[in-house]
Amino acid sequence: MDFANIADKALLWIVLLPLFGAVINGVFGRFADKSMVTLVGVGSVAGAFVLSLFSFFHLVGLKGALGDDVAITNEVYHWFSLYLGSSEIPINVTFVFDSLSGIMAMVVTGIGLLIHIYSIEYMADDPGYARFFTYLNLFMASMLILIFGSSMPVMFVGWEGVGLCSYLLIGFWYENGSYAAAGKKAFIVNRIGDFGVLLGMFVLMMATRSLEFDDINAAASSLGTPFYFGTFELGATATVASLLLFLGCTGKSAQIPLFVWLPDAMAGPTPVSALIHAATMVTSGVYLACRLSPVFMESATAMAVIAVVGALTALVAASIALVQNQMKRILAYSTVSQLGFMFAAVGTGAFTAGIFHVYTHAFFKACLFLGAGAVMHAVHAHGDADVRKLGGLRTKLPVIHWTFLVSCLAISGFPLFSGWFSKDEILLGAINATMFWEQAWLGWLVYVILVAAATMTAFYMFRLYFLVFWGTYRSAKVEVEAEEDSSPGASIPPPGHEDDHGYDPNPHRPHAAIAGVLSVLGVGAIVAGTVNLEPLLHLLHVHVDIAGAENGNIWGTWLSGTVVHFVPAGEGVGALSYLAAVGGTLATATGIGLAYVWYFKEGRMPMAQVTGFAKVLMNKWYVDEFYDATIVRGSKALAVFAAAIDKYLIDGILARASALGVSLISWLATRPQNGVMHSYAALMVVGLAVIGWWFTHPHTNLDGVATRSDVTWTTGRGLGYEYRWDIDDDGEADTEWSAEGNSASHTYGHDDWVGYALIFDGNRTGESEEIFLDDSVVVLTESDIGRGWEADPEAGTTPPSFRVDEDEIVFLKNDARARVRGGDAEVEERLHPGDTVQVGSLNVRIGAVVRASLEVRNSFGNVARDTSEVVIQPAPRTREVAALEAVPATQGGAR
Amino acid sequence: MNAHLLTLLITLPILAAFIVAFIPRQATGTLRTTAVVFMLVELFVSYSLLDGDYTTASYQFLEQHEWIPVLGISYKVGIDGISLWLVLLTTLLTPIALYASWLSVDTKIKEFAVAFLMLEAAMIGAFVALDLFLFYIFWELMLVPMYLIVGIWGGPERVYAAVKFFLFTLVGSLLMLIALLYVVGLYEDLTGVYSFDLEELSRVVIPYGTQIWLFGAFALAFAIKVPMFPFHTWLPDAHTQAPTGGSVILAAVMLKLGTYGFIRFAMPLFPLAAHYLGPTIAVIAVIGIIYGAYCAWVQKDVKKLVAYSSVSHLGFVMLGIFSMNIGGVEGAILQMVNHGISTGALFILVGVIYERRHTRDLDEFGGLAKVMPVYATLFVIVTMSSVGLPGTNGFIGEFMILAGTFASEALQPWPQIFVFFAATGVILAAIYMLHAVLKLFWGPLSNPKNENLEDIGTREIIAVAPLIVLVFWIGFFPGPFLEKMTPSVSNFITSFQQKLMIENQDDTARLLPGSGGSPSAVAAATARVVVPVAGDQGGEG
Repeated sequence: MDFANIADKALLWIVLLPLFGAVINGVFGRFADKSMVTLVGVGSVAGAFVLSLFSFFHLVGLKGALGDDVAITNEVYHWFSLYLGSSEIPINVTFVFDSLSGIMAMVVTGIGLLIHIYSIEYMADDPGYARFFTYLNLFMASMLILIFGSSMPVMFVGWEGVGLCSYLLIGFWYENGSYAAAGKKAFIVNRIGDFGVLLGMFVLMMATRSLEFDDINAAASSLGTPFYFGTFELGATATVASLLLFLGCTGKSAQIPLFVWLPDAMAGPTPVSALIHAATMVTSGVYLACRLSPVFMESATAMAVIAVVGALTALVAASIALVQNQMKRILAYSTVSQLGFMFAAVGTGAFTAGIFHVYTHAFFKACLFLGAGAVMHAVHAHGDADVRKLGGLRTKLPVIHWTFLVSCLAISGFPLFSGWFSKDEILLGAINATMFWEQAWLGWLVYVILVAAATMTAFYMFRLYFLVFWGTYRSAKVEVEAEEDSSPGASIPPPGHEDDHGYDPNPHRPHAAIAGVLSVLGVGAIVAGTVNLEPLLHLLHVHVDIAGAENGNIWGTWLSGTVVHFVPAGEGVGALSYLAAVGGTLATATGIGLAYVWYFKEGRMPMAQVTGFAKVLMNKWYVDEFYDATIVRGSKALAVFAAAIDKYLIDGILARASALGVSLISWLATRPQNGVMHSYAALMVVGLAVIGWWFTHPHTNLDGVATRSDVTWTTGRGLGYEYRWDIDDDGEADTEWSAEGNSASHTYGHDDWVGYALIFDGNRTGESEEIFLDDSVVVLTESDIGRGWEADPEAGTTPPSFRVDEDEIVFLKNDARARVRGGDAEVEERLHPGDTVQVGSLNVRIGAVVRASLEVRNSFGNVARDTSEVVIQPAPRTREVAALEAVPATQGGAR
Repeated sequence: MNAHLLTLLITLPILAAFIVAFIPRQATGTLRTTAVVFMLVELFVSYSLLDGDYTTASYQFLEQHEWIPVLGISYKVGIDGISLWLVLLTTLLTPIALYASWLSVDTKIKEFAVAFLMLEAAMIGAFVALDLFLFYIFWELMLVPMYLIVGIWGGPERVYAAVKFFLFTLVGSLLMLIALLYVVGLYEDLTGVYSFDLEELSRVVIPYGTQIWLFGAFALAFAIKVPMFPFHTWLPDAHTQAPTGGSVILAAVMLKLGTYGFIRFAMPLFPLAAHYLGPTIAVIAVIGIIYGAYCAWVQKDVKKLVAYSSVSHLGFVMLGIFSMNIGGVEGAILQMVNHGISTGALFILVGVIYERRHTRDLDEFGGLAKVMPVYATLFVIVTMSSVGLPGTNGFIGEFMILAGTFASEALQPWPQIFVFFAATGVILAAIYMLHAVLKLFWGPLSNPKNENLEDIGTREIIAVAPLIVLVFWIGFFPGPFLEKMTPSVSNFITSFQQKLMIENQDDTARLLPGSGGSPSAVAAATARVVVPVAGDQGGEG
């Protein structure tokens, strides 16, 4: 049996199993027995987990044999090809299981499986049981596509797919309008981020002519070239691409400025919050940044922005969490804050630390959320559990208590718990950044902000812990202000469950599924950090290599083939790692200590009435209100405006105004038809008079056609017409009245010219154009000439021009290239009719204007007179005359 | 049979219309069944089109007969990788549209069926015609049945909507006719013979000053049909008033004739004008994307919302066409098909609740997911296709259009700016579609009138099912669709650029040597090739 082959195929099945699970439950789940739904929904994820585990060990084996940058790839099929000009960009659905996607797959399928199991019990009584597992399985499939996709478009399928599932699951209890609105908000905010990902993808595609991650990373060093947005230079390609992708990350991973959807997303069932909105989906931004780490590393600007945004998010979200009173809400802001830590790591180049935190965070945050869910379940709280109504659950719910406690310790960074290891790495990353960033202070700023955020984290987590599990169970004793928080998904329960009820005075303990899952995650929260013992070994001044990894950093060594691993400068690292560890540990001690004093020793309760700065925090810095007042209302107003424009202006002009015009004309046209006999008679008389006048007067339409100097004039014939020509328009008739002479020819000489004309050939429109020259000067423009002359506004160049001077035409060539009579033109040329000037691609022929008059008389004796002018082009008056002799025989005819 | 396949496709519905006309009008069931069966036969026959050789850009199933030889008018039909999918879209959607209106239309059923059959014949004819006269006939012929469908079986304002639709389209078409005759006149000037053959007329080099007007006339006719901003105002009215089946055909197929007209006629005939006006049209397209989306957001009537979304989506198509880049143009063609599928399905689905409640006002609904879960599921799937979620057909089209535009040479130096603004349409699409979904399906079931609504029925599911399958099929396996397009699209672009290059250097009126034109025409062309445009000699005063 070919082992490698199975491993290749395994990747496809890891994705397909949950996908099939979703399809089966989606189509048949409504009719099927609940146990079947469970079997399909949980079984498919279990299968995916087993296959992931298998692939993981296979990869470990391959790594041992072939080196660090090996990967298991599974080419599934050719999706489509994008032809851009001459290059073809094939887009293949290829799945890759390398050290990075391997870790992510283990987290996703592992934590995912646990949460599926948890959901069996948690969702047992929900009428949408099958629908829930359908969505959850669909999410698993999408998330795995996101992780395994070898190219950006395939990754994007998963990226938006998880967004869809998130939308569906947040609005799972859709009968509650505000829950559904929270889902919509999540989808739209994420779409703003996806917009960035899409554009970032295009920028990288143009620069590297590929959409494969490997190709893009390989070409990363060439991304320093400037990127033009239209004609504006925006900066280096790497910077533009990284920042656009980071916009996507701020959406998916809830960073400033797009973090607002995540707290509302807690409207979904708690397992969803744990799986999607804490452990997996929201970390995909970190994954993307790590996947493209060489690109991000090319841009110091982008990295600095990411680090600062990440740190600020960590701080702002933590500050909000300080004063919230709903369990899930506190955890939600905690998630935003922890994601900020991860991005701070990414921004400071500590990509592996970022992923490390993704991994440890998955355990303790999932455990916290599931613990909160278990509490809500136990006390029959709906929507969210208010800490003011809880308390003393330590004895009533011991399993939940212990797992919650270890997770709180882990997230607070208590030494030797998992969070301590990963947070320490992140702080170390920030300190390292001070050494390679030009602005070292920026690194210190990030460090200080992160330590502050870590302090807050420890505080709010233990505030939550003490309020929920210590003291006495307050059940319904606390009056909750209804209006305190009106944002969607916050405290509005599903219909039929009013939240002003008290909680169940006798909380029931969770059954095996929930208790078991919590215990597994609790253990994980404690020990998950041991894959990177570097921080500990540093502090102990021990230097040992474990499992081939330098100084116990199995984690970093494992990822070194796929993720850029910034190696801190050798000197002083020891001292710096002390600083990281001391900062982190102090933060933990301060935060936990303060929470202990206030909420355990003093037994404080959350303020009933929040005031001052606390009120700002309670209202989440008014960010939602700010967005609502500006962006949301602004866009909506724009939409209303557009619709009004459409209705009144565009439709008004195109349809109503034109219809009005037509009816106006028809109104006018129908006025004379008024049915009054004498008005008809009067109109008839007027009409007859006009017709009579027309018939009794002759009509001329004199027109001439010139060939060189010969012009043939013609006019219309008419009954009884006689003609008399004054062919040179000198006021004396040249012929007698004659009935046959409606046509006359004449050869015009120099004396007959009444003016000059310029005939333009070969200009842009391709049609010749005549300009009658009078006293004014004709100036040629750039567009007339085409190539051959360009205005230089600074040098004040003048364009070529023509003017009449006595009996000649003066051509000023100025700075243009011009040719006259086959040779280069002088600066000033005096020209005559028949001459040709070539300026650039423009041909200008000089013509003369001649004029003829005609009188027409009809049998009524009425005479009409008409005069007309035509441009002639006499033969050139130059030395080439001899050569022109051969041309038309009509030339030089007698006058 | 293959030699006459296209003729068969055009005549079969006409024949069916005759047969239906002789069925007694009381036999409503027979009438409906006959019409749909004939359409299904048509659909079946049209699948033989896939047997053509689409590895080349040359026309398949080409058929040519002299018609009015004096004027050089012939019956010439053929199909290539571009029109193939549009014809198949037509043959697929027509039976679906009629079947979806199965019960909602209960008066003058015979006339309704005949109108649909005639409409199908005219639409297929317009997609396969390679003679401009023939095309024009089919183009105008389409108007009549649609005018009747809206005007007779439509909503309360149907007459206003039908007349508006008719007049808007007609104004554009007449200008196109004049321009078309002018081109034929130019051809006659150069060759001494008349021709309406597209391939022959494409050989005429037209001076820029003339070309711009001719292109303008064609572009206006097509832009009204697309419809491009600001000529779109007939669309919301026509859609809201048309019966479900009419809306489906109108949105899914008829609008595509506008975009198709640009690719098949306006751009190959007038490359220089198309090239210089391309960026301008792209700007209008992007305005349409954003403007249509904003207008859609605030509509109360679901059908109007979908109608405005069409304005937005077809803006994407126009942008892709004018990117003049294989990826972009292919994306545009695929997006034409996608829009047909997703918008067709949306109109059918909107028809479902309209039949039950006789209103489409969003405020009347809410919480329908509780009583109509299957319906809600289908609606959300189609919504996702409409907003271009990856894995659905909409994504492939939009992605290719945006990628193609980003890499566009023709839109230099602004392609990134176009993409930036067009991509905001992707965000806006999510906003307006999810707004509708929220209003319809989520929230409490507050309106008592909705409490006893029946879920979507078997007939309606049968009508939508093929479209849903296609949503995912194209989404996951777009390869076969695109592969058949590539040679034709590639040829479209290369010949456009070749002619553009020639005209850019020298655009005096003349005839380019044809690939396989009639010998006499070529001889005449060489004899008179140097004749300059009238007025060149400086004659009139």
